[in-house]
Amino acid sequence: MNPILSFIVILIGVYGLATSKNIIKSVFCVTIIEAGTILLFLNFGVYEGGLIPILNAIGIEIVDPLPQALMITTIVIGSTITSLALMLCIKIFHHYGSIEWKVVLKGDK
Amino acid sequence: MIKRISLVFLLGFILYLFSTSIENLADIYNSAGKDFFRDNGFYDTGSMNLVTAIYLDYRLFDSLFEAGILLIAVSGVMWISQHNTLEKNATFMLDKQKTPELFITFSRLLYPVMLLFGMYVIINGHLSPGGGFQGGAIVATAILILYYIDISKSIDVNKILTIEKFLFILLLSIAFLSLITRNEVFTNFIPVDGSAGMKSIFLILLNIVIGAKVALGLIAIFTAFLKEGR
Repeated sequence: MNPILSFIVILIGVYGLATSKNIIKSVFCVTIIEAGTILLFLNFGVYEGGLIPILNAIGIEIVDPLPQALMITTIVIGSTITSLALMLCIKIFHHYGSIEWKVVLKGDK
Repeated sequence: MIKRISLVFLLGFILYLFSTSIENLADIYNSAGKDFFRDNGFYDTGSMNLVTAIYLDYRLFDSLFEAGILLIAVSGVMWISQHNTLEKNATFMLDKQKTPELFITFSRLLYPVMLLFGMYVIINGHLSPGGGFQGGAIVATAILILYYIDISKSIDVNKILTIEKFLFILLLSIAFLSLITRNEVFTNFIPVDGSAGMKSIFLILLNIVIGAKVALGLIAIFTAFLKEGR
């Protein structure tokens, strides 16, 4: 759980986004970037011996709850964005007959 | 090839910048926020689960817009997946689907338990791990299993979208209710000096509305994909 390791996951996603030739693979790379962001945020405020942020006993040491609350919204939004992108992929396939960037960017049917 | 090598060098440079900026993380990040939430969280919001305390009270404004993004994405999926009237004879994945008998038998045993567990996670969101978003996903899975058992029963997606719009208005109106009782928007409508049991009414209400909204949104998205595949 090193911040640098989770940043490497984000960079792998950026590399895939820049070099992938298929639209579905680009959507996967967006989800990889999202997973790296979640890992990076959950690193902050975590320390050895910290418990989950639920106050069911007095005087316990908890981890920082703020990044976890932010990441709940990221997960829900990420799933909806992925579904929207995949639905667009289906429509692109029906229109162009292919989901390669090369064919789609040329523009003819 | 040269493009890829230069891209790798660029990403390596970004990684170097990040690793140098993260070195003095202890100076940037301090535990003041954590101590504030630990000391005041239960008194301010009446929620034992501090994550729920943040996304339903301190940062309710964020959660409202997040529910709005969910609504917009579901409407976008519905709008994009509209069928062309010319393709009358298209065979969809739904028509060819044959659910195996073993799947039907086991899921009939399983889905009431899943539905019950999802509702437990939603209602106990302020006491134990869970909440509206997570419980809504579990309830949506249970209802989709029910849909898989008898696939001839069609779900009217437009009706689901209408219910979801009304739930979003309900969410906004519950969040605005504190303008009358506390004279500030987007917080708990029970007064600050009320007991924790009274305050949890607001949390349970909002968790149920968010859970229903997430469940309906996920059902609508999945049904749209099932009707699109061909």
